[in-house]
Formats: sequence, C-alpha cells, structure tokens
Amino acid sequence: MTDDVKNPDDPERRDFLNTVTGVVAGVGVCAAAWPFISSMNPSRDVLSQSSTEVNLKDLKPGEGKTVAWQGKPVFILHRTDQQIENMSSSQGVKDPEADAERVLKPDWLVVIGICTHLGCVPNRVKDGWFCPCHGSAYDNSGRILHGPAPRNLDLPPYEFLTDSTLLIGRSST
Amino acid sequence: MNILVKISLLLTAFLVLSPASASTAAMPLAKLDIANDKESIQRGFEVYYNNCRFCHQLKYIKYQYLPDIGFDKAKVDALRGSQLINASLQSTMSEAAANEVFGAIPPDLSLMAKARKQGPRYIYTLLTAYYEKSDGGYDNKLMPGIKMPDPFGYSVANENSKVAIEAEAKDVVAFLNWAADPHADERKSLGIYVITYLIILSFLLYVIMKRVWRRLPPPVSEQL
Amino acid sequence: MKKITQWIDRRFPMTAFVKKELSEYPTPRNLSAWWNFGSLSGVVLVIQIITGIFLAMHYKPDAMQAFASVEHIMRDVNYGWLIRFMHSTGASAFFALIFIHMARTLYYGSYRAPRELMWWSGQVLLLMLMATAFMGYLLPWGQMSYWGAQVITSLFGAAPFIGEEIVIWLRGDFTVGDATLNRFFALHYLFPFLIVGLVMIHLVALHMVRSSNPSGINLADKDNIPFHPYFTVKDLFGLSVFLLIYAFFVFYSPNLFIEPDNYIPANPLQTPAHIVPEWYFLPFYAILRAVPDLVGGVIAMGVSVMIFAAMPYLDRSKIPGGARYRPIYRVLFYLFVVNVLVLGYVGAKPPEGWLVPLGQVATVIYFSIFVFLPYISKKEEIWLRAKGLPSVVEELICAEEEEKGKRSQRKNRGKE
Ligand code: FES
Repeated sequence: MTDDVKNPDDPERRDFLNTVTGVVAGVGVCAAAWPFISSMNPSRDVLSQSSTEVNLKDLKPGEGKTVAWQGKPVFILHRTDQQIENMSSSQGVKDPEADAERVLKPDWLVVIGICTHLGCVPNRVKDGWFCPCHGSAYDNSGRILHGPAPRNLDLPPYEFLTDSTLLIGRSST
Repeated sequence: MNILVKISLLLTAFLVLSPASASTAAMPLAKLDIANDKESIQRGFEVYYNNCRFCHQLKYIKYQYLPDIGFDKAKVDALRGSQLINASLQSTMSEAAANEVFGAIPPDLSLMAKARKQGPRYIYTLLTAYYEKSDGGYDNKLMPGIKMPDPFGYSVANENSKVAIEAEAKDVVAFLNWAADPHADERKSLGIYVITYLIILSFLLYVIMKRVWRRLPPPVSEQL
Repeated sequence: MKKITQWIDRRFPMTAFVKKELSEYPTPRNLSAWWNFGSLSGVVLVIQIITGIFLAMHYKPDAMQAFASVEHIMRDVNYGWLIRFMHSTGASAFFALIFIHMARTLYYGSYRAPRELMWWSGQVLLLMLMATAFMGYLLPWGQMSYWGAQVITSLFGAAPFIGEEIVIWLRGDFTVGDATLNRFFALHYLFPFLIVGLVMIHLVALHMVRSSNPSGINLADKDNIPFHPYFTVKDLFGLSVFLLIYAFFVFYSPNLFIEPDNYIPANPLQTPAHIVPEWYFLPFYAILRAVPDLVGGVIAMGVSVMIFAAMPYLDRSKIPGGARYRPIYRVLFYLFVVNVLVLGYVGAKPPEGWLVPLGQVATVIYFSIFVFLPYISKKEEIWLRAKGLPSVVEELICAEEEEKGKRSQRKNRGKE
C-alpha cells in the first residue's frame, strides 16, 4: 500500500528474488533429505563387519572351510601341490581364466561361495564344488566346468595379514 | 504482537525456572568446565580403562568408536586383543561376582553423563565427595552409604594428591561425557550450518512477504 | 505440461481444486501471526511421520532390545541421532504449536458458530495426539517411559467394576511388559495416519466456514483476498521462523525434553524417585493429583481435557471478536493461561508442602472459569451493550438476531 518505494512491482527484480529463494529452499529440501537417505545405508556396526579375519593355522593341505563375510559364504581351500598343478595346467571351460589370476598364493584358494547362476551355495565334492540347485560344477579354482552358471565363482577382496591370518574385505579400522 | 511477547516471556520463564529448582541432591554439585578436547578424553579413557573398567562396563561403546577420540589402529587393536572390533567394552568382573562383592551390579557407564541431572557435574562431584570417617572407614557426601569403594583413594589423600585426583576425575568425566553422546560435536557443528541456512531463508521469505503484501488491494469495508 | 494437466483435468478436478481451495481460496486480510499455527502443526505432523518411519526402520519393539536399539540409532545408524532428536523434539514442538493454536481459538472466540465442528474435530485431534505421544514415549523403554506407562495405564483401573480387567487388557500383561511395548508400537505407528485423516476433515470444515479473524466478524464473506500469494508466503515465512527455533532445540538442546531417568533402561522392580510426565501433560497431571481420590482424580483429569468441547455452549455472549471487545472475557482468558502455567509448575514438582494446596486452588480455578463462563459471558454482554458498542458490532448482533428470528419462525411455520 505504500508507494514510496520505487517500482515495488518491477517484474525483473521480483523474478530474481523469487528464483533465488526458490533455489535456496530447493537446496535446503534436498539437503534435508540426505540424512534420511543415508540412514538407510549400512550402519556403522554393520560396516565394521565388512571384513572378516580368518585363522588359517589348523587347515592342513587338502582341507577347506567356509566362513561368513558380509553375511556371504566364502570358501577357503588349502590346496595340495597336486591340486595346484592340475589347476594351473587348465584354463577352465566356459569362462577361461588362468589359475594364477584367481589366487594371491597358489596354496590358498579364496572364492565367494555363491553360484553365479541363481545364488545357491554349491557343495564341496571331490575335485571341486557342485551346485545342487541346477547342477553347475566348479573346479578347484572355482571355475565353471559345466552347467547353467555363466561365470566362474567371484573372488572377494582379501589380503594375508601374516602367513596364517587372512583378512577378507577391507581393513577394519 | 504484544500478547505474543507476553506469552513467550511467560513460557521461557516457566521453562527456565522449572528444571533449576528440581535438584534434590544431598550436597550442591561442584562447578566444572567439561573438557571437550581429544587429549582430555583420551586421558579419561585411560582412567576408565585402568580403574573403572574392573567393575563398570561401557555397553554402548564399541572398540570401533575409539578412533573417534584420536586413537590409532594399532592402539585399538592392542586394546581389543582377540575381541571383535565391534565388541563393546566389557568390565573385567562378572555381574554375579560384582553382586556378591558389592551387593549390587555396578551400573553401566555409557550413558551415565546423561542419566543424572547435570550428569558430568554429578559424576565429578561424586568422585570427589569421598571423605574419611572418624572410625577409619569412608563415606560419600553426595551419596551417603555409597557401595562403590573410593576409586582414587580421595578420602585418604593429602592435599597434593587430591589435586591430581581431581584432574583425573575431570578427565574421566570428559571421557564419559563423550561416551554418552559421541555425536555431540558433529551435532553442534552441523547445527551452525542449518541455523545459518534458516536465517538466510527466513530473511529472503520476509523480503518477499513484505513485497507481496505491499501489492494488497485496499480494503472494501471499514476495518475494525 | 499443459497437455498433461488437461489430460488429468478431464478425469480429475485438479486445476479447479487447486484454484478454488488453494490459490483463490478467500481469506480474511487481517489474519495475524496467531493464524500461522494451524499450518505449522500440519508441517510438524509431516515431520513426525517421516522421522518416525525412518526410526521404525531401525527400532526394535521388544522389551529386551528396545533400549539398545535406540542407542543403536543414536550411535551407529547414519544420522540416526539427528532423526531421533528431530522426532523427540518434534513431539514437544507439536504440543507447543497445538496449545498456541487452541489458545488463539479461545482468545478470539473462533470456536463459536459456525465453527463448532472445527473446534470439536480439533478436540478429538488433541486427544489422539495425546494418545500417540503417550504411546510413543514408552518406546525408548527407559525408566521414565516404563513408569509413565505403568501409572497412566493404571488410571483405567478407576473404571467401576471392570477396572482391573481393563488395565490388564490394555497392557496384555499384569504389568507393563513386552506385550504392552509391542502394541504401543503398532498403535503409535497407526495413529498418525488416523490423525492425518481427521486433519483432512478439519480442513474440509475450515474451507466450508472459512478462517475466522481477529475482528471476530465474518470478513471472509465480505472482504477477502486470495490465499495465494498472500498467505502462502506468510505461512512459508512463519514455517521458516518455526524451523529456526526447532533447529535450535534439535541441535543445541535436544536433551531438554528427555528426562535423565529415561537414559536408564526400564527396571520393573524399581521406580525412579520422582516420576514426571512430559511437560505437555503436566497441567492435567497436576489436576489428577490435586484430587485426593483416585476415581475423582481420573474423572477430573478427563473432564479437564474434554471440557474445551463445551466452549461453544458455555460462552453465551453474542458479541463477536472473542476477547477483543470483551474486557472481562479477556481477563478470564489470561487468568486461565496463567493458571495452566501454575498447574504445569505444580505438576512438575513432587507433591509436597505448599504445592499441594496451590495445586488444589489452581484446579478449582481451572474448573470455575468454565463453570461460571455462561453466567459471566451473559452478564458481560448486557453490561457492554448498555455501555454502548461500536456501531458495526451492534449492527452485526442485530442482524444475527434477526436472522435467528427468521429461522425459528420458518421452523414454527413448518411445524404448523
Ligand atoms: S543356482 Fe547354482 S546351478 Fe542354478
């Protein structure tokens, strides 16, 4: 109602101010959404379990075990010299890959124990694993031999902390 | 607006007055500046670890939080030994044993700084309220008949060691204050951004509002 | 864009609705800041629902795990502390806004015809809000949560004959326990959505009768301005200022609204030395304690909340504008507000010494104001009209009386 201000209705000025406010408000709403989105990501205690330490001391050559890493089964196999030799001389069938590229140390095979077909956990059989769901067979390097699975068994990130301790996943702290 | 001011004054007076007069402690709480720096908190952790931990657990503090107060990985790994990184800090005494010795289970300390009115001051006062009784025993002025034995020997300490004990108590309070609310620093620094943002937004909206209302058509009827 | 709008408009009255109820909705031009609190409450309801849903993703309604899961939210979940403090502070903010909204309605007489249904739906909303807040308060499973729930559920034991059975039925156990926690969680999740539904009804009623305004005269019909942009921008500015205050509490004083005892896990074998309800229940709690008899106290407390619904009938004055043209009503209003604050103070303290009689006097004053209101308001009207009112107000009263007369005549004719 006061007319003492010059051009209170100057459309250019109004548009500019409204745009700025709109952008500021929009940015605020997006920023406010972030904590909520972020809260659905794995929480801190879950993240701390993103790595698993495994003691390898009592695994004799030829023995293996399955450990949980991020809730997934990981097959660890202490391979014998014979097994290493067999594996390094073959390239696999469906998804050719050299054995040397699938292990850090030839003695130890570490693979994620989830069938690359539809996610069952294969069973240990003589000279490899066999998936009970649809009959995929894997060798002692975790490579697919036959069956419907498209890929070799996936490899988790891992490192040897000492000769007898294995860390699967990233470093914990 | 006049009424708005009046009522808000009344409300603030009400909010301010009511918690102030609610203290029922046996002795007034000591004045205390709660330290918030990493060094004090770390020293406080050592005090906890070498004294309190024998009876009190920190159920909601996990080893994985310790890097937050400035400990490096090697230190944390040394502290936890064979325990998992996401294990919480347990006391060395079992609940049953503690119950047998003290007749009560020593309370968990993770939330202690928030679970008492003026928590940090309460803890500090409690730790330094031990005194020697005439018959040679000890008691606590803040909590007469306390079951916790004088943890730092404050009741029998001479003036010099009392100063040292008070410094230790301050450190452990700094640590427990952090433990009760580990995100407090993050909260306060985030708050500055949020409040600055809202001040700017309010200002912009105020300007727009003033301008929109200037365009208001004149009233049709006489206003009351 | 236009095509999409047209496509929708042929099937759903979207543009027409937005135009009629939002942008061109006629609103009195003289609404003060006190008329901001309705929309603010709506926003807080949304904040509570959103934060609540995200909290529920991490919370465990189990007596063994509830307390620890709240700590898990506070310590491990990304920004869990923020969401939790927003929710706990939001509950207090919600009541603060609703109480101011109610005080405004009482001061300006907005509850009077034709807005009775708005007032009554608001009354039901208040009850539902109280129930929701009460059930939510149990969820952290701290000492205060537990004993608050224990005490309040025990109140139902005052019911004649089947009191004991009702209490057990409410709890699903002989004391507050796991079953109670689980059902409180379920209902605490459900109620906000019922509240949303009732808010819709509240708003439909509002758009029927339009906003009241500080003059008390129905300006909305005669002299109004479109809602947009005048009130959209005013509400947005109000919202921004509110968020500023809210953020201050969330970031710098979040524990102000959480009793220290609630950071101690619930212990069914030990009651805290002094139990207090949340601040928004304190005046009613003081009334409960002021009556020395359990049944009487429960009735008094129930009536003290519900009596607001009678206001359209208790206030018999025909003078519009609430307290604005009515000095005596204004005095009563302020007396009431101060009295409620006194009751709140008494409710926060242990019932000892001079606080007991003070609480009783305040309780008597609380009810007396309602009881004597019909008489006082009538007398006040006669006095004010004899003294002479502004001509606009006098005309309005006459016009209204005439209108009423005609209506009753028509009714009588219909009967014959
Ligand atoms: S899931 Fe293993 S073969 Fe189909």
